[in-house]
Amino acid sequence: MAPMDCLAYSKALLKPLAFSFASGSSLPTCDTWYFRNAYNMVLHKFGEKLYSGLVSTMTLHLKEISKSIEVAQGASFLEELNRKWADHNKALQMIRDILMYMDRTFIPSTHKTPVHDLGLNLWRDNVIHSSKIQARLRGTLLELVRGERTGEIINRGLMRNIMKMLMDLGSLVYQEDFEKPFIEVSADFYRVESQQFIECCDCGDYLKKAEKRLNEEIERVSHYLDATSEAKITKVVEKEMIENHMSRLVHMENSGLVNMIMDDKYDDLGRMYSLFHRVSNGLSILRDVMTSHIREIGKQLVTDTERLKDPVGFVQQLLDERDKHDKIISFAFNNDKTFQNALNSSFEYFINLNPRSPEYISLFVDDKLRKGLKGVSEEDVEIVLDKVMMLFRYLQEKDVFEKYYKQHLAKRLLSGKTASDDAERSLIVKLKTECGYQFTSKLEGMFTDMKTSQDTMQGFYAAMGPEIADGPMLTIQVLTTGSWPTQLSAPCNLPSEILGLCDKFRTYYLGTHTGRRLSWQTNMGTADLKATFGKGQKHELNVSTYQMCILMLFNNADMHGYREIEQAMEIPASDLKRCLQSLACVKGKNVLRKEPMSKDISEDDSFFFNDKFTSKLYKIKIGTVVAQKESEPEKQETRHRVEEDRKPQIEAAIVRIMKSRRVLDHNNIVAEVTKQMQSRFLPNPVVIKKRIESLIEREFLERDKVDRKLYRYLA
Amino acid sequence: MNKLGRGHRDKVQQFMTITGASEKVALQALKASDWHLEGAFDMFYSQPHVKSFTDSRHLEELYRRYKDPYADMILVDGITLLCNDLQVEPQDIVMLVVSWHMKAATMCEFSKQEFIGGLQALGIDSLEKFRERIPFMRSELKEEQKFREIYNFAFGWAKEKGQKSLALDTAIGMWQLLFAERPWQLVDHWCQFLQARHNKAISRDTWSQLLEFARTVDPALSNYDAEGAWPYLIDEFVEYLTENGIVQKGQLNDWSQRR
Repeated sequence: MAPMDCLAYSKALLKPLAFSFASGSSLPTCDTWYFRNAYNMVLHKFGEKLYSGLVSTMTLHLKEISKSIEVAQGASFLEELNRKWADHNKALQMIRDILMYMDRTFIPSTHKTPVHDLGLNLWRDNVIHSSKIQARLRGTLLELVRGERTGEIINRGLMRNIMKMLMDLGSLVYQEDFEKPFIEVSADFYRVESQQFIECCDCGDYLKKAEKRLNEEIERVSHYLDATSEAKITKVVEKEMIENHMSRLVHMENSGLVNMIMDDKYDDLGRMYSLFHRVSNGLSILRDVMTSHIREIGKQLVTDTERLKDPVGFVQQLLDERDKHDKIISFAFNNDKTFQNALNSSFEYFINLNPRSPEYISLFVDDKLRKGLKGVSEEDVEIVLDKVMMLFRYLQEKDVFEKYYKQHLAKRLLSGKTASDDAERSLIVKLKTECGYQFTSKLEGMFTDMKTSQDTMQGFYAAMGPEIADGPMLTIQVLTTGSWPTQLSAPCNLPSEILGLCDKFRTYYLGTHTGRRLSWQTNMGTADLKATFGKGQKHELNVSTYQMCILMLFNNADMHGYREIEQAMEIPASDLKRCLQSLACVKGKNVLRKEPMSKDISEDDSFFFNDKFTSKLYKIKIGTVVAQKESEPEKQETRHRVEEDRKPQIEAAIVRIMKSRRVLDHNNIVAEVTKQMQSRFLPNPVVIKKRIESLIEREFLERDKVDRKLYRYLA
Repeated sequence: MNKLGRGHRDKVQQFMTITGASEKVALQALKASDWHLEGAFDMFYSQPHVKSFTDSRHLEELYRRYKDPYADMILVDGITLLCNDLQVEPQDIVMLVVSWHMKAATMCEFSKQEFIGGLQALGIDSLEKFRERIPFMRSELKEEQKFREIYNFAFGWAKEKGQKSLALDTAIGMWQLLFAERPWQLVDHWCQFLQARHNKAISRDTWSQLLEFARTVDPALSNYDAEGAWPYLIDEFVEYLTENGIVQKGQLNDWSQRR
């Protein structure tokens, strides 16, 4: 075939093809003819002509198409574009099939663009990028999106096709002709909208709106945009709606994070968490605000003097606050560990602001173990104890807690007021797991003593049997000195009936345990007395040992003056006054009558057996052995003892460290000691320094001759 | 002697007066120490041959002069007599230096061993030689290193036998004495502070560290390092100074000087 013929041929070939497809009719019957001729052209080295003919014909054709699209009005612009694009695709397919031989041989060898791609490029250049279409297309698409954002319904299918068209033309086309402007315009849109919202909405509402918008955008992408746009558009929404307003939202008065926390608004909080999670630093702002809020309420709680008058209520409040915030973190904050840690560190911070926290927590436990857990199931008991352990872990001065716990436990055990032995032991086990054997060994010793005493009493009664069957019934607890809190055993004159029994017991006990010394702790005992009053009413009185001694005096005479009682009893004045007050001045328990009827006990008072005493109850408790908040002087005393106990512990730690390190500088010793004592208390660096100096004086350590800061262990 | 310049002649004269050595020895020592008197003294006294100069009979005599009638030691009366003979006051600090040379265990007494051994080491066997040596001993206090040794020695010497620490009053007395030789601006404040706040005995560590403190830390506390592992008493002293406005913003306000 001659060259001129080829060109004409390809023209002739392509035109009808193009037109016929546009009008929907099918290929002219002899497609094989087309194929064969194309084949021949290439074969006879006319490929170049064929190709360029293809290019020029298609270009012209597409220019025509372009014009027809340009004249479309309004909504039909996109529709027309869409239609023509569909046609073009179909045509391309056919053309490619027909020119397949050229595609496979001529084109690769000449590195020309393959037919299909060529067709796309020509479409792109002549239609999409035509001066009259490019801007209009972009504008139309953006306008439709905007419309949808403001509530209009648009033709999503059409949009999808157009987007697909752009993607087919190359992701660069999609990005340049649609995505980039889309992102810019969206940013502006959301910037404006977020500003409007934030002026008029409260935090919760704003977040709802933001969430809605975010979901909308995601949905939009899934319906008609390319998937690669999702990350980009969500970033825009996140930035404009959330990141730019983070601080204002969190701190919004009456509706911000703090208010949500206080009102347990789980939904709002959850929404805030998931939205803020998307932006960098979002969660840290939430965390910081939450932390300072908790610290603030905690601080108020531990310094509220009114509330602190009821230690048990105070601790319950602490537990409630913790529960509340724990729930928020698990329901709304996805159990985020960093928030858990923030909660824990806040609690640790404010609980230790009040130096009486260890005492109060022990009182709380005392209350629960005394009566609070009666009738509560075993699992619930465990839950309460676990919660107590949580608070215990926050304490810096665990050794102070230990001291109080011992005191309170002693009172519980000795007055028989512990509600559940299992609960007691369960808590001891938890403390042991947390703090090690040394912490609980003495506590366990106390339990052992109680058990052993029971056995001893059995043995005593079995051995003495008939001799003492008639007398008062004695129950004695033998306490090992080291395990129980130290008490000074004040003297006290026991009534003769008791004294005889006590001596018998002493003989019996020392008979089986040689080398031991027994001393009666009269300030810790209790007694049950049966009393008969004026009209024959009988009551059983549960009193302390001191009170028992006082009351027994009234078996001999109806009246005793204060000084008489003091002489007979020989107990310390403050204790005596307290006992007399509890016997004579408390309504419902005044088994004694005092003259004059004043509230305070003076040395000139006289006491009478109160014949006229009545009570609805048969058994009346007048004892004063309940664990209470310590008075100021007692507190000082306990604190002083704790400080004294700490000194040898610190010294032992220093010696241990120096023994293994041989030579160490001052700051490192302080750091090591602090680390070692961590589980019990936070040592004061000044105290550590003093202990070091004491050890220098006792020649365990010496200072280095040259470097003053260095210490050496002296073997 | 004629060939020497006036300055050198004076030094030779001084050397001979103080050490009791001959002109020849004096010249030798001074030349060897480049005409520095103190160096010359040092050299002279560290010569081993000096020991052989002492006559042990004379030493025995001396000892017998001062020894207590009932105990084989020199006690308070003996020491008073010695001081008289030496023409120094009993509370003169030079007696501390003497005790140091003798390695005396405790103040107000010398054992025979300490007395005789000390004098032998010093090469003294007569009162005259002893008297002549006094100025030299005074000069030893001016030497940094020796002062430190004497200062640290003073602790063990001044405390009660069998006690680990030095009673506060004694300590204060010693400090006043010692810091008269080597002035420390804060010594009075230190003593006041102790009497007001501490009222307990002084440990050896505190004693020795105080000298370091006086030596290294400027009285306005500008280079005081709170992390310097100073004994806690010294830390408290610093607090006391700042609390009472004695040291403010790196300046020492010495009100004692305001009249």
